[in-house]
Amino acid sequence: MTSTPSTARPERASHVDASRRAQPSFWTASFRVFDLSLGQMLWSRRSVFLAIMVVGPVLLAVILHFVTGLAPGNVPRINGARISGATIFGFMIWWLYIYVIVPVLGVFYGTSLIADEVDDKTITYLFVRPIPRAAVLVGKYLSYLVCTTLLILPSVMVVYFLIVPINGGQIGAQFPSLLADLGMLFGGLASYGAVFALVGARMKRPLVVGLIYAFGWEKGVQFFPGYLRRATVQYYLQGLVPHTMPQDSAVSLLLDFFREIPTVATSIVGLAVICGLALWLAGRAVERREYVLEQ
Amino acid sequence: MTTRTRYFVFGSLLVLTVGVATGLVAYYTGFSTSAFTSVGGPDELKYLPRNANLVAYSNVRDVMTSGLRERLRQILPNQPNGQQEFQNETGINIEADIDLVVAALAPQSGGPEAFPATGLVLARGRFDQVKIEALMREHGATVDEYKGIRLITGPTSAANTAGAANAVSLAFVEPGLVALGSTFLVRNAIDLKAGGDNVTANEELMNLVRSLENGNSWAVGRFDAIASQAKLPSGLAERLPPITWFSATTQIDTGVSGVLRVEARDETSANNLRDVVRGFLALAKLEVGQRPELQAMVQSLQLGGTGTTVSLSFNLPGDLFDLLGNLATGTIAPKSL
Repeated sequence: MTSTPSTARPERASHVDASRRAQPSFWTASFRVFDLSLGQMLWSRRSVFLAIMVVGPVLLAVILHFVTGLAPGNVPRINGARISGATIFGFMIWWLYIYVIVPVLGVFYGTSLIADEVDDKTITYLFVRPIPRAAVLVGKYLSYLVCTTLLILPSVMVVYFLIVPINGGQIGAQFPSLLADLGMLFGGLASYGAVFALVGARMKRPLVVGLIYAFGWEKGVQFFPGYLRRATVQYYLQGLVPHTMPQDSAVSLLLDFFREIPTVATSIVGLAVICGLALWLAGRAVERREYVLEQ
Repeated sequence: MTTRTRYFVFGSLLVLTVGVATGLVAYYTGFSTSAFTSVGGPDELKYLPRNANLVAYSNVRDVMTSGLRERLRQILPNQPNGQQEFQNETGINIEADIDLVVAALAPQSGGPEAFPATGLVLARGRFDQVKIEALMREHGATVDEYKGIRLITGPTSAANTAGAANAVSLAFVEPGLVALGSTFLVRNAIDLKAGGDNVTANEELMNLVRSLENGNSWAVGRFDAIASQAKLPSGLAERLPPITWFSATTQIDTGVSGVLRVEARDETSANNLRDVVRGFLALAKLEVGQRPELQAMVQSLQLGGTGTTVSLSFNLPGDLFDLLGNLATGTIAPKSL
């Protein structure tokens, strides 16, 4: 009789141990979700869009390289003056990567981290696993970050080697600015991804909200004086860009008036805070929100 | 992770690693893509000393036959007759005889450190050597032979305490190429004809030259060296921005377009300089708000540059010179500007 409780206690203990063994730690769970999601993200239908985003600038760079290589007179001009390869590369970083590609990738992939699972009604399968819900979000965020980083950074690298030598540019002399560009783009992808992951976790129509934020709020607020612009990712990204912002008539005139570029340290801290805060809030939202799947 | 995902990750990392490694090698060794191409710049550079602080080039034929020059001649017909004076002294007609000019400023060891002792001009074109030599002799020049080339040295002025070291000489270093400048540098150019350490070995300067040679006139110089040589007032010298190299290239046809570029000592200086230029540009844009004919010119000013480089491109259309001509002739009141 006395043996019953003594045998029951080890059984309960072994059951608890087994349960603990079955529930991995937060980071192990995140890594498992990351491992699963990376392949899904890379080889999904959305990858066609990602490929266009990545291959577009490379194709443009190839065309520019060969056109200027065939005849040096074909070097692009601004107002009649031939411009160097480094300047063209700077323009491409601003106009293609900072203004378009990074925010667009952030919006499309960041908002879909949770929203896609809800739309496909597969979120239940993830949430019934013995892992923290936030680990699902973090794992998917990491897969987004790795996926976009491994596509965008090599693309920038190829563009650099094709564009900078145009018109006598030196790849060695400009190399430190390329490293700054790569770091800045990584920071941009991480921050935009985190912000839009939050939007995706909290909002009902995250893509629309994300697009309005990225191309409405972020762009528009730069023209207003005051501290509002500090609530944008772009404000901090500008502090990390080693290239001069392109000047163009009325837009540049307004930006010149209200221009305020943070220091590199402020920018890095700002992006880290945005990234951390947005991910934490997104994690909380995923943990607390009841996702109702439409039948 | 599936096999194809793994291939993708390794492929991307490989591109990044190869790119970073190549860039680092290029950064530390000075390797450039242009190392596989020609030296760059006009052939006449081989006659300039390696320690040249300033190198300038002009395709005189392009400039003289440009629409802009024709327009300027119409706008300002009464110009000082320096061109005629030069022809009287040397027998060289700048407009008809010269195709291109390459000029340099270089310090000379043991001699005076001011122009013209440090200047050399190389002009390529069609010259009557006998006529030029006779004209210069008429003006008191003496002729010596140096390494088989006739060196015509002009008279040294009495006021010139530096004496022969500061004399101006002329020599035909090869058929159709005349070197005019300080005796020291002209002799040096003759020395360099046989080979030696010329300016094309100055990689820092040549990198800039290669980036500029598309314009029909350009100049590259070491700003700090020239500023120190210029013996500027101490107050002014201290206020100059910390610039190491400067370069300018212009394309002169119906108008003038070009790029001014400076290399600051560090990124902070470059950023400060950009801020100053940006401020001036914003002010200029406001100032010309009521003048549409000037707006095109001001809008053409584009600030650029990366890292320690600050550049400003411009485009002055031919119409602008008509406007300036009208101002000069009093057709338009200056205050309306």
